[in-house]
Amino acid sequence: MAKNTKKLNQKTLIVGLTVALIFVLVGVFMFSYSMKTLDKQAEQLGAEEKPVFTPPFVDYNIPGLDNEWGALIIGIAGTLLLFVVSLGVAKVLHKKKGN
Amino acid sequence: MMMNYPIIGGTTAHLLGGASIGLIIGPFAGLIFVTIILVLQAFLFGDGGLTTLGANVLNMGIIGVFIPCILFLVMNKLFKGTGKKLYAMIFISAFVGDVLAAIAAGTELGLSTPTFQYGLSIAVPAMAINHSIIGVAEGIVTVVLIGTLLKLRPDVLEKSPILSKLPIFQNEPEPKEE
Repeated sequence: MAKNTKKLNQKTLIVGLTVALIFVLVGVFMFSYSMKTLDKQAEQLGAEEKPVFTPPFVDYNIPGLDNEWGALIIGIAGTLLLFVVSLGVAKVLHKKKGN
Repeated sequence: MMMNYPIIGGTTAHLLGGASIGLIIGPFAGLIFVTIILVLQAFLFGDGGLTTLGANVLNMGIIGVFIPCILFLVMNKLFKGTGKKLYAMIFISAFVGDVLAAIAAGTELGLSTPTFQYGLSIAVPAMAINHSIIGVAEGIVTVVLIGTLLKLRPDVLEKSPILSKLPIFQNEPEPKEE
């Protein structure tokens, strides 16, 4: 890959990640009251949740920090984690395809 | 999917991102990407959930990604996506993908009686109407995202299994050797 293209790709990734994080910021602070997902509505309609396991950050909350700031930290960490995991999977699949 | 946006009637809905992912990186890679999101959400945040993972992958990963891609390819064949037509095609693909994914979810919920007390006649329209509104937002976001990439990084989209079929990429001369 040419050096210029590599630099351009890095720039695109940084811009993309920044936009995603801005999305998280705006989402958390402008729409946080509606962060409750479809299951909340389902509960109102009479359906019950029967969890088979307890995830560490239920409904995007950090235990002990149940507010927008907790959701913001989760949002940023989640976005970065998704980026790293996806990049890892893409690299592995790309390598396998190459072989 | 973390961000649920308020819509009419005090309900919420979230963007899927399936159309933009599918159109940019192709439906198969898109399915893998959406599945990664759903697995992370289920294991870390209890959103979606483990027992519903299969249904979510079907709705958002298969229907939400493949339908926009197929629709886009058909429309591109029929109307040759250029200019404003191209953006209309992207919008329609994203909108229809969202609504069909929601209808699929509504159908699954409706068939889950008596666990879910409302049948198909209530669950399907409720999901479809909610997601028609969010589908418009999905369409706009997808158009803006792909429009921006078309302007700034057409070289990336030229490698897309779906968008590379656009006339602008088909008629271009062979790219120069790097």
